[in-house]
Amino acid sequence: MGVIFIYAGYVKLVDSVALEGSAPFLKVEMVPWQLFAAGIADYEVVPMWAAKFLAHTLPWFELLIGMLLVAGRWFRSSTVSTSLLLIVFFSLMVRAFAGGKEINCGCFGPNELISWKTLVRDGSMLAASLFLTVVAFRGRRKQA
Amino acid sequence: MNRKNILMKSLALSLALILPCLAGVPDAGKGRTVGNEAAPLMFELYSDFMCPACKLLHENLLPTIMRDYVSTGKAFLVFREFPLAIPQHVYSRQAAALAVAAAHVGKYQAVSDALFRGQVAWGGSGKVWEAVAAVLTPEEQKKVQALAKDPAIIAEVQRDVDRAAKANLNQTPTIMVTYRLRQQPWTQFGDYTLFRSYIDGLLKK
Repeated sequence: MGVIFIYAGYVKLVDSVALEGSAPFLKVEMVPWQLFAAGIADYEVVPMWAAKFLAHTLPWFELLIGMLLVAGRWFRSSTVSTSLLLIVFFSLMVRAFAGGKEINCGCFGPNELISWKTLVRDGSMLAASLFLTVVAFRGRRKQA
Repeated sequence: MNRKNILMKSLALSLALILPCLAGVPDAGKGRTVGNEAAPLMFELYSDFMCPACKLLHENLLPTIMRDYVSTGKAFLVFREFPLAIPQHVYSRQAAALAVAAAHVGKYQAVSDALFRGQVAWGGSGKVWEAVAAVLTPEEQKKVQALAKDPAIIAEVQRDVDRAAKANLNQTPTIMVTYRLRQQPWTQFGDYTLFRSYIDGLLKK
């Protein structure tokens, strides 16, 4: 789960196409944040200023909680954050899909339309994250 | 002999490299482009004449985009027809054919302005031709009416639709932004500052 979140943050920040043909780490080109902001705005749930703010911050937050999950640090906080994020993402995707909106998911970079496939994928991720959260809190009870 | 061979091969190679550049914008559509073809950016605006959001873009945002990027030589604008195949847009393809036909007599802008201006009226009555005829001279009317039925014009509209399908476009209006051989569709026109910031960012790269 941590690796998936690191990947999700990474693809929203780093332009993988621009890296092709160039020496990696020498020339890292960032994905224009406006593309992600436009994707968030397409969901029509937050005002544009909030979409811009989220486009700047969310990929970094995904990277952070991904790294915390991989490192096993602040495990309960990071699993709760992951579950809450995925609940929000999944609800918005279901809402958009049910409303017949043909918009980009915004999950793993630009240009990926919401479909049954993305819903199943994100639903599975939510289930896994909820499982991890339960495990994290059960472990704490046993320790107590 | 050997030298001549090398020379001929070099010439053929040079031609192969130069010809695609000379060809310019692929299938740009006669009379449906604005600005400098050599501009660093290309905007392909995919619209449907029956789409209310396209009317809004055409009447409110397009003049600003033209002022900021097309008139300044930063972008080359290509108008593409994308009549959506949905029951509500029953006259879209007819309108697109008339607009493309009008482009062949140099009246694309006037006709598209008229079609968007009268969208509600002809969209309800189906009197598309009346909206178009109003901005044409009698001579142009005859030519446009004939051209709109011409298979070549119908094919020109279809080529735009196919182009949109190939690019996985699914809504109108969409501006396909091409910069340094890379393409990115843009559909979010709720806030022009976001589009401007994106385009300005590309130009700074």
